[in-house]
Amino acid sequence: MSNLVGSDLFVLFLCGITFAAFAPFTPIFVTPANLANILIGCLPLLLLATGQTLVLITGGIDLSVTAIIGLSSVVGALVMGGDQGWLQGSPIAMPVAMASMLATGALVGLFNGACIAWLRMPAFMVTLTTTMFFSGLSVWLAKKVVNSESIYNLPPAFLAFGTHAWLALLMAVIATLLAHLLLARTLLGRWLYAVGHNPRTSLISGVPVGGVTVGAYVFSGVFAALASILLTAQLETGSPNHGKTLLLDVIGAAVIGGTSLFGGKGKVLWTVYGVLFLSLLGNGLNLLNVSDFLITIVKGAVILVAALLDVWRTKFVRGP
Amino acid sequence: MNLRITFSPTFFTAAFAIVALALTGCGKSDSGAANSSTSSSTSAAPDQVKTIGVAFETLQTEFWVAAFDKLKADCAAKGITMLEGVADGDASKQFDQVRNFINRKVDGIIIVPKDGKTVIPMIKAANAANIPVVLYNRPADPTDAKHTAVAPDNFAITKETVTYLVSLAKKTGKKQKAMILLGDLGDVNAIGRRDGFEAAIKDAGEAVEVVARIPTDWNQEKALAGVQSAMQANPDIGLIFTSSDFMFPSIKSVLSNLGKWKKHNEPGHIILGGFDGDATAYQLMAEGYVDATGVQDVYWEAEQAIQVIIAAKDGQISPTRIDDQGFAITQANLKEMESRMWGAVVATKKK
Repeated sequence: MSNLVGSDLFVLFLCGITFAAFAPFTPIFVTPANLANILIGCLPLLLLATGQTLVLITGGIDLSVTAIIGLSSVVGALVMGGDQGWLQGSPIAMPVAMASMLATGALVGLFNGACIAWLRMPAFMVTLTTTMFFSGLSVWLAKKVVNSESIYNLPPAFLAFGTHAWLALLMAVIATLLAHLLLARTLLGRWLYAVGHNPRTSLISGVPVGGVTVGAYVFSGVFAALASILLTAQLETGSPNHGKTLLLDVIGAAVIGGTSLFGGKGKVLWTVYGVLFLSLLGNGLNLLNVSDFLITIVKGAVILVAALLDVWRTKFVRGP
Repeated sequence: MNLRITFSPTFFTAAFAIVALALTGCGKSDSGAANSSTSSSTSAAPDQVKTIGVAFETLQTEFWVAAFDKLKADCAAKGITMLEGVADGDASKQFDQVRNFINRKVDGIIIVPKDGKTVIPMIKAANAANIPVVLYNRPADPTDAKHTAVAPDNFAITKETVTYLVSLAKKTGKKQKAMILLGDLGDVNAIGRRDGFEAAIKDAGEAVEVVARIPTDWNQEKALAGVQSAMQANPDIGLIFTSSDFMFPSIKSVLSNLGKWKKHNEPGHIILGGFDGDATAYQLMAEGYVDATGVQDVYWEAEQAIQVIIAAKDGQISPTRIDDQGFAITQANLKEMESRMWGAVVATKKK
């Protein structure tokens, strides 16, 4: 049994089981339209969970991703859209807006990382407080400029990320692939694992622990901004409220995939499996007419089991 | 227990791919069967609505629960399967739910959107699948996307309610300071109620001065904190209007602590009004604490929403907007009008 649980593809195996379990009871579940629906619907979660994976590998946690989504969405929409968009109508509006959204994510990540790495503050406290700060800031900013929490009239070229599924898919796949290559094939990737395993030993070994930690949070911020691009385009609205129910799914998908909450262990591919599993589970239960409240309970229970399994593997299998 | 199985990545990938492909194939044939069965029953009863997807932004207040229960009961009575979705205030989650409904080829979708803007892509997605959409109680911003909104005339009902409150203020013989608890101003209902309040206050001339406009974003804790601050800054506030009845408990909490929670016939009473007509408001009116509330007809709106979908199945096109005229219920007409107040019906059932 430990072979099965310890396998790299255990969660993919669970996905197969889930798929097989739902298929006979809800024929719509296996239709191409529904599978495409699951695929497109899970892209923001995939981006967020991929960014989170890098942070978890360093032994940290980023609770501010939903606030970054909201702030990036408002910043981007204020640049390119609405009746008072700063660059509304300009041909450079969309690229500048997207760059602003990514820069917003990177800056929030930089702030988080700097507080954690250089001021030695606990990650959960820093990212929890920045969640409050940046959530409030995004609402204030939207209301100050357009007197509403929603900013509309975004350029059609930007909305293509919501209306053309292949474009969203392409963006998410490229970003996830880059994250995978970064972790698996680069020195920075090895440093991330090293910092997560033991920051003190890493420092003695010449790893720039502070810089690596900051880099992980910047990476998470940028990926949250990418998710914000997708959500803002899908809903054709810039809003501080986008994705605000996603946080548990983000951490859950990474942990279910096998990324350790204690740091030093995880892969982007595992997170992809975790995202797939959560999405299949949510969709299947939804198609079976299970109420949203029960779906949330089931997801919470699954994530709890995954976290317990992580504790078990870390404390008892790997040893103290 | 050791199963002694080597779980190599290749084994798993291959197994998963085979299972997925096989089931996708089966699914296609099943789906085809389902489709053919649908079309055969469609030819037998072309005008029959079988399934409706209902996506609510929240079930946080009595109003939404009453509406949800009424839709459920009416669907059951008509032999319609109701698929449910509750988005917890997250528009992206609601979009996922609407996509699921579209995938399931429902006959119609009823949405209570987070706001008037984020719902537009959802309507467009349903339009593309030729599925009729009804926005329940919260209309969309101006759009070409085809839909019907069944919603209250927030402006008129609020103005009528606040005009009654102003008449009470005038009877006190002194200029009254007023407070309004605003809703989420991304919600056109909240805007309509604010505008109705402001119009009635403007008509009042010098009799009432608004000293506090509390943004609540439809959140009870924000309402509580806002009312506390406003009462600290202006202890002589004599008139309070809440854009939704579900915030009365927040007002009651603050006024009780200040010793100002008084019935309408007691000295020191603060004139109180609201909007919705929920069970709490009914109870507070029956006890004499609340002077008036604007009532929207939750049951009528639910009936209309389902009727629009049934009509669409019959090929009829409903108007973009169906107004719930509603009415103001006051201490003066409570006995006469309470049978038309949905909150009174809910309160009676609870008893």
